[in-house]
Amino acid sequence: MVNAEQPPDPVRALEFKEKGNKCFQAGDYQGAEGFYTQAISHDPTNPLLYTNRAMALLKLSHYESVISDSLTALSLHPNNMKAHFQLAQAQIALHHEKDALESAKKAYELCMEEVMHGGKGATSLGPIMELVRRCRKEVWEGRERERTRTEKGLLGELVRDLEDRRDVEVQRLEGESAGEIQIEEVRQEYEGKIESLRGVFHRAGEVPRRRVPDWCIDDITFAVMDDPVVTKTGQSYDRSSIMEHLKRSPTDPLTREPLHVSDLRPNLALREACEEFLEENGWAVDW
Amino acid sequence: MAFATKRLGKELTKLHGSLPPGIELVSAEGFEEWLLDIKVLDANPLYLNQTYRLKFKFSPSYPIEPPEVTFVNTKDRPIPMHPHIYSNGIICLDLLGSQGWTPIQNVESICMSLQSMLTGNTKNERPEGDQLFVANNRRRPRDIDFYYHDNTV
Repeated sequence: MVNAEQPPDPVRALEFKEKGNKCFQAGDYQGAEGFYTQAISHDPTNPLLYTNRAMALLKLSHYESVISDSLTALSLHPNNMKAHFQLAQAQIALHHEKDALESAKKAYELCMEEVMHGGKGATSLGPIMELVRRCRKEVWEGRERERTRTEKGLLGELVRDLEDRRDVEVQRLEGESAGEIQIEEVRQEYEGKIESLRGVFHRAGEVPRRRVPDWCIDDITFAVMDDPVVTKTGQSYDRSSIMEHLKRSPTDPLTREPLHVSDLRPNLALREACEEFLEENGWAVDW
Repeated sequence: MAFATKRLGKELTKLHGSLPPGIELVSAEGFEEWLLDIKVLDANPLYLNQTYRLKFKFSPSYPIEPPEVTFVNTKDRPIPMHPHIYSNGIICLDLLGSQGWTPIQNVESICMSLQSMLTGNTKNERPEGDQLFVANNRRRPRDIDFYYHDNTV
């Protein structure tokens, strides 16, 4: 990628990056993209330049380019939280729900690690979690659409089969010069079969009563937990909401005894249960 | 903002679904101010056959921050007599203060706490210095440091 006539020059690259940042802040994303591109040409191995350009490209809705820049950034720095986050945003915009969910989850994991180790990133946690939820819902919706489509197709096929059999039967009877009443009986028999087949499919497709079980609800946001952590009282909360609370008051919400971020423990079994519940009940992401 | 509206939206769904006895939702337009009516369910003569109106004001960071809850005085809705309730409707209850609040409280649980605060009361009186407080207070309830001098009430 390095131009032969242009040896790497990280200092000039940073100058262009600064110009790009200024444009970005002023809302000139086109201009920002141009400067970041120049920065990259001077220093093609700095992952930060790719994530910055991806940020501008995201604003410009150039999703394919966001994906390629994010992937380049990740090849240079595999644990780049921002790159995973931007990748997820572009993937969901292009309706690659499953890939988007994977990328968003990875971004969440990296962001959480950073926060738990005292790093910054606490402000990104909310938006990333928001994206994880959105991806999860879209994955579920895609699967539901697929299921309805397949079932509709199957029903049509079975109805046509029954109609064909009815026609064969009727033709046979007509060939044998059977009476009008006998033929009508056959017609009605198949009419009944088709009717009850539709009934069966209809009942199977009915949405079950939508109820979110209490065990997966976070008592602070009332939403389904994505990353439950447990306190010493045994009560679990979603990590993002209990952290929000601890910022204001380092106390256990149940007992008001002192509680610190370092006291929180992931509740892995509950996390799996919540994830499984959401996989089956995508609507509950924002019930 | 999203934090409060999402949680309040869910609370509202639940409140529309079912409410404990003696609690009624009067209005919940938007996510800034709700009105609820409460009744005391036992035969406490102080509150017999009375309905009281509560006003909830939510900040964008609810439920991390407590809501501001006061009794409001309207036609047929007096301010209940209680040694922790000022005659202007301001309530002195630790769970509504910055110190006592916890985000697992919610509109329903607050209403129930207030019901039981009234149920358990036998004193037909206002807090000490009620007249002075009502005349002079310009602060918002959550900014007032109440002195919980009598925790037996």
